[in-house]
Amino acid sequence: MSFLKRTYDSIFGAGEAAVTVPPLDGALLPNDALDQAELVTAAAAADNLVRDGERCFFSSGAELFRLDLMDGVTPAGRFDAPISALSADGKGTLAIGLSGKGLVVRGGKHEGRRLSGLPEADAACITAITFDGPDKLFLAVGSSRNRPEDWARDLMERNHLGSVWQVDLATGAARRIADKLGWPAGLLVRKGAGLVVSEAWRHRLIALDDKGRHTVLLDNLPAYPSRLQAGEGGFWLSLFAPRRQLIEFVLREPAFRRKMLKEIDPAHWMAPALSSGKSFLEPLQGGSVKQLGVLKPWAPSRSYGLLVRLNEAFLPEASFHSRADGTRHGITSSLSIGGRVLVTSKGGGAVLSIAADDNRREVA
Amino acid sequence: MMTAPLIELRDVSKDYRGVYAVRNVNFTLNKGEIHALLGENGAGKSTLTKMIAGVTQPSQGQILLDGKPVSFQRPAEALHNGIAMVFQETSLVPSMTVAQNLYLGDEKLFNRLRGLYIAAQQFLSSLNFNVDPWANVSTLGAAQKQLVEIARAVRQKSRVIIFDEPTATLTPEEKHYFFSLVDRLRKDGVSIVFISHALEEALAISDRITILRDGELVASDVTSKFDRDGIIRAMVGRSLSNELYGRKRSDADARPPGPKVLSVENLSMGSMVRNTSFSIYAGQVTGLFGLIGSGRTETAKIIAGVIKRNIFHGGELRFGERSVRYREPRPAMRDGIVYVTEDRKAEGFFETMSIAENIQMGLIASGLQSSSVVTQGEAREVTAEWSKLLQIRAINPNARIVELSGGNQQKVVIAKSLVQKPKLVIFDEPTRGVDVGAIAEIHKVIQDLADSGLAVMVISSYLPEIMVLSDRILVYRMGRVVEEFTPGRATEEKIMYAAVH
Repeated sequence: MSFLKRTYDSIFGAGEAAVTVPPLDGALLPNDALDQAELVTAAAAADNLVRDGERCFFSSGAELFRLDLMDGVTPAGRFDAPISALSADGKGTLAIGLSGKGLVVRGGKHEGRRLSGLPEADAACITAITFDGPDKLFLAVGSSRNRPEDWARDLMERNHLGSVWQVDLATGAARRIADKLGWPAGLLVRKGAGLVVSEAWRHRLIALDDKGRHTVLLDNLPAYPSRLQAGEGGFWLSLFAPRRQLIEFVLREPAFRRKMLKEIDPAHWMAPALSSGKSFLEPLQGGSVKQLGVLKPWAPSRSYGLLVRLNEAFLPEASFHSRADGTRHGITSSLSIGGRVLVTSKGGGAVLSIAADDNRREVA
Repeated sequence: MMTAPLIELRDVSKDYRGVYAVRNVNFTLNKGEIHALLGENGAGKSTLTKMIAGVTQPSQGQILLDGKPVSFQRPAEALHNGIAMVFQETSLVPSMTVAQNLYLGDEKLFNRLRGLYIAAQQFLSSLNFNVDPWANVSTLGAAQKQLVEIARAVRQKSRVIIFDEPTATLTPEEKHYFFSLVDRLRKDGVSIVFISHALEEALAISDRITILRDGELVASDVTSKFDRDGIIRAMVGRSLSNELYGRKRSDADARPPGPKVLSVENLSMGSMVRNTSFSIYAGQVTGLFGLIGSGRTETAKIIAGVIKRNIFHGGELRFGERSVRYREPRPAMRDGIVYVTEDRKAEGFFETMSIAENIQMGLIASGLQSSSVVTQGEAREVTAEWSKLLQIRAINPNARIVELSGGNQQKVVIAKSLVQKPKLVIFDEPTRGVDVGAIAEIHKVIQDLADSGLAVMVISSYLPEIMVLSDRILVYRMGRVVEEFTPGRATEEKIMYAAVH
């Protein structure tokens, strides 16, 4: 039956084969709030902000920085591989995911703890970490085949090889609670209500219970979701790359994709990106063509900046954008402090600050 | 030398039971000029021209033809005096062929069809109109019907031709032929009144422009004195004394969105709906503004399963969690989507049945009736409930729908839809042809539905209505949503600008 449905859909362009992208409207109405946002600091590939008590950290490539809103940025360490995820327990312990290496614990009583039970291929691709109490943490593994920086390849291979693990830091034992996920890239522990995972390749947020069963909280997002952060009276969701019709189309053409992966430079793949518009060799979707030297803000670019505020029911209630004419693309994490929200734009290489209650629906 | 105007209207008014459609308008039409008549829907353009063409008679004031007062009681009389009108809603006989329609009323005692078809063929080709004279009118599309209608008016060799929105349904090529025809007619000394929503057209072809608003004349001058911004301002800049539409909503008044109920993605249907994408949220009124012919109704009908989208790559509709594709309205209605039609006479009710029978029909269609036996008791019960809720007023409860006023008819149509316990209600022009009192009551019903958590979509081409009802405003143009406004950001000028550009 499903074969017949697939065949029918592919002939008529319906269902799975409908190359459609959900519209950015309602609470997701575009604006240029991220481009107007205050620049806290510029840092190439700024990624994953965390707060450890009074201190804030963010990663940038293989380097760890401490961020102080008064005193600025100070280096806080350097690792032998790019940092792919960070988390803090609030009492001085930092859990750090290193691309291709695995989990490193720094500070606190579990310093130097090694994990058991987590296969090497999974440990190489930790995309998000979150503490659940002082001795437990959750890990999101994007894919067992690719490293975190190869996320575009993982998408183009249409892998659903991601998993979520629970780690007991006291023993170092890791237990898998869910697998066959499409690049889980964000984790959030709700007090007494289980774990929320953003599943990027399926563009949705799911809630996982202890046995790994999932319920969908928010579906059909117009971009690939990344890390989640709790804020006052809601949540902040970073979305690192946009869904586009051209890319949705490419994702439905296996032969083309195989050839592209084999023969084309990854920088010029017809795939989403954290930043774009740097080379004339990049693929374009109709509408992104400059006319009279002007790129329209609504152009379907390969990269986009999008941060969404969700209410307690996980429904979008506000959004902050950087469109095709902006540069603050590839939003990977956020952190709410007081009345402000810090945001990392990995594509734009910047840490930004916005007012949390901004009326972001106004396009200036 | 200034010649006397061919037609002159002096202080003409027309009221329907005290409600003025046109009020104290002075209007002149000179020989051999193209006079564009602009205004929003319901501004009184059609009423004004219908008085010239003898379809209706003015309540007050005088119409002068060649300087002599005239009073046409019937369109035929006006036609006899050389005044022809091309109507917006076509007035052709659908069961007759194009040629027969063209020569309708001029047949000899023994009508020779062969000669008729040859003459019609020659005549249509001379106008460059590509319509088959042998075709039955009922098989033609809206645009072709319009062309036949135009050809019929031209054939009468009238001195004055009134075109009521002739170009709304035409393709660019047909428009081109139409405009060259209008130019030819002008050179032959024919006077033309041209009603249009397309401001560019009016600016391009007319000699003079008159703008009406709420039945009153607000501007009238030679075309060179106008530009499009000025026209828009004159068209919408109404006095806000009207209390019904007086309230300006701010963003704070808008209801916060609930869950996304409907997501329309890349929906296409022929040339009317083109790759449109938008969402509808629960607990909100989403207003859909657009000019007539922009594809709003078609989109709504696709959602409700009345018409089908393109079979190849027609896009996706997601209702709740599911991707849906309705091939007929019934499953859509069972899922909780109801569409309250804009054309209630044709699609909304059974006009010779009573109110109770109509409302019960809606109930039976949805399968929500209490037993499989159709009872009068249930009909009475349901009708009493909804008559009270919607304040349907009738002389007696057994009155047939056709005997009711427009407002009450509309309320019956709404009741008939709402008994089906919908999750998404689409109102298409809910207050068209409805009196002022009923408008307020219908607006109240719409607001209450949204307050109770339903998703409501209101399609309207009347700007103040959209402004006063909507929590979100979507603007339709050329078959797709082109702009979204929040109530606080929206102004009439901005919405109109988005709708015509």
